[in-house]
Amino acid sequence: MELYITGTGIVSGAGNSGDESFLKEAPSYNTDKLLCIEPDYKAYIPPMQLRRMSKAVRIGIGASKMCMEAAGIEKPDAISVGTAMGCLADTEVFLGKMIAQDEQMLTPTAFIQSTHNTVSGQIALLAGCYGHNLTYVQRGHSFEHAVINTQLYLADNPHQQMLVGGIDELTDGSLEALKIGGINRRENSAPADVLNGNTHGAVAGEGSAFFIMTDEKPAITAICIKDVYAFTEKDIVTAAEKLTGYINGNSLNVDAVMLGQSGDEKSNAFYQLLRSGVFANTSQYAFKHLCGEYATSSAFALGMLTNANAKGEVLPSHCVLNNEASSLKNVLLVNHYMHYHSCFVLQVV
Amino acid sequence: MKQAAYIVNTGIITAIGNDTAACLDALLHSRTGVGKAEYLKTHWSEELPVAEVKASNEALAAIAGVDAKWPRTAILSAIAVKEAMQPVADKLQGLKVGFFSATTVGGMDLTENVYKEFKEDSSKVDFDNIKNHECGTITELVANHFGISDFVTTISTACSSSANSIMMAAQMIGNGMLDVAIAGGADSLSRFTLNGFNTLMILDKQPCQPFDNNRRGLNLGEGAGYLLLMSEKAMQQCGVTADCKVSGYANANDAYHQTASSPDGTGNKLAMGNALKVANLQPADISYINLHGTGTANNDSSEGKAIEVLFEGKVPVASSTKAYTGHTLGAAAGVEAVFSVLSIRHGLVYPNLRWETQMEDVSFKPATELQQGIAINNVLSNSFGFGGNCSSLVFSKC
Repeated sequence: MELYITGTGIVSGAGNSGDESFLKEAPSYNTDKLLCIEPDYKAYIPPMQLRRMSKAVRIGIGASKMCMEAAGIEKPDAISVGTAMGCLADTEVFLGKMIAQDEQMLTPTAFIQSTHNTVSGQIALLAGCYGHNLTYVQRGHSFEHAVINTQLYLADNPHQQMLVGGIDELTDGSLEALKIGGINRRENSAPADVLNGNTHGAVAGEGSAFFIMTDEKPAITAICIKDVYAFTEKDIVTAAEKLTGYINGNSLNVDAVMLGQSGDEKSNAFYQLLRSGVFANTSQYAFKHLCGEYATSSAFALGMLTNANAKGEVLPSHCVLNNEASSLKNVLLVNHYMHYHSCFVLQVV
Repeated sequence: MKQAAYIVNTGIITAIGNDTAACLDALLHSRTGVGKAEYLKTHWSEELPVAEVKASNEALAAIAGVDAKWPRTAILSAIAVKEAMQPVADKLQGLKVGFFSATTVGGMDLTENVYKEFKEDSSKVDFDNIKNHECGTITELVANHFGISDFVTTISTACSSSANSIMMAAQMIGNGMLDVAIAGGADSLSRFTLNGFNTLMILDKQPCQPFDNNRRGLNLGEGAGYLLLMSEKAMQQCGVTADCKVSGYANANDAYHQTASSPDGTGNKLAMGNALKVANLQPADISYINLHGTGTANNDSSEGKAIEVLFEGKVPVASSTKAYTGHTLGAAAGVEAVFSVLSIRHGLVYPNLRWETQMEDVSFKPATELQQGIAINNVLSNSFGFGGNCSSLVFSKC
């Protein structure tokens, strides 16, 4: 089923979509992690509530409010969220205290906020949304499955507005584990390392991107998700073949492709097969120099596109990998996180 | 028109049994699984009873034929999935197969043992104890073991998680995206969850008494429960039959409090009412309600009141099975889906164990005696959780 995106909200390591200058300047850093540059939440969250929120909840609520504002709605009919790691910071707070205090004299606040569905639950609570509410936690497909769930929900319940998001927060603990696991780099990276480097692991990231999606074509310009193709594949050659087969098999007309190129050597080999193969004559764009590598970064990339389209902007020049697209009507978003691959087929309508 | 998602088989492991037959036997003989923690090493083992699967990870891994170094949740999951898939395990060629799991603890049982050392000096910790921490990894381990790859997902909506995995599986079979699905959930005990629930002061220091006026809280449990769901076409190809199906499902949010239900059970009513609508059934069509019935003051009151309103005082026979299995969190709806199927298949209503005193604010009384050989056509199964997540499923005879 086709989904139309009518509102976008992003909080990321490259800033937030409520900011006029969002993504306009090329990023500049030398770091092992791109943490969220958080907005002033005054317009979005009452201060009393804000004080009690962990970062995951703040960036989740913040991006969802921006997105609803952009779409011009007060509350969605249903909510679908993807998060690979959930509310890690509160999980670690409770875990740390539980061990340090030998399971005694513990307080509930961190535990309450540690559950994976805290963000979707808090959004429902703040907006008074009694509708369908789901949280997906399938690693690099968490956001993709939240979108597939949106297709399923709107097929059964047409003419509704669904809030859909991808969110993950980075902690010191998770960063260390991700470095040991080879996903993120121990050394610092600059933007050029993400775009052109060939290193072991990529710069770490986190972020929150939310969307209002509906099954009805809106009167104003919007991006339509025509299809989401998601699969797992450990062998990069096979993965590239599968994607190529999907693109050719569906005779997709592609003006531009957004690639999750991260500078990681294994990942580069995958993207190189596509860049010199099926996308050889296609304009190619990157996004991970902005948000870093994390499991739900495809939501950030989708948000970059929908946010730019809604504001009548072109994609920033610092995202161009080969040549700028003359038209941005038919766009593919191709990403992978470890062996979790996905391809969003997008069209400006 | 949607295709039906037929329930061909079940797989389960809980404190009352390592498979469907053993759990059924315990339900028929009112055997509880609630007792002292032996395998979970916790400060609270003398004070807080739990419904623990009485076997080591090594012994459990041997049943499933998987690596004993997996998180316990993954091992429990594999045991139940193996049982659920058994009738069709070698017959799935050419069919699109999905695995829909649910968990809230993921690999926490291993992480919590090494977290302190990991934070101090990560190089001193065996990374095997950390690498499977993510909820989605649990599902991935099990999916890979059984060779399922067409669609693999994990849902984590606290205590309602596996109701949602069954819902999504039924939707994807319903619209032809998949032919076969194994859907449910798994959760092991962990110190993290035991202590978390303890800080909320909702754990009973005695075996729990759901829907009793003097109830004191819940007992945590562990286990896994899955349904093997198939389209008609897939059943024909595999030469299997079904005696019931997933006929209704709904997910709603209570939007009241992060960890408490609204006093009148707003979300509960929405979930139950919408599940009946999807099933195209009237309240009077429900033969038995498998209650969420955790034994906390808050849940049982909200759930009871919502049921009274929805059923307009004509409440069908109802009971909670959590006095047997404890509250198995992300596995609970999967476990109770299996019990719902057994209720339909064998015409059973399970006694609500340890019930003594009528609730003051709810007028119906849960079933306290085993009923056998009665006609059970439609079962409503409830699962409500943190974050306001409320889900109800309807299972029907076919």
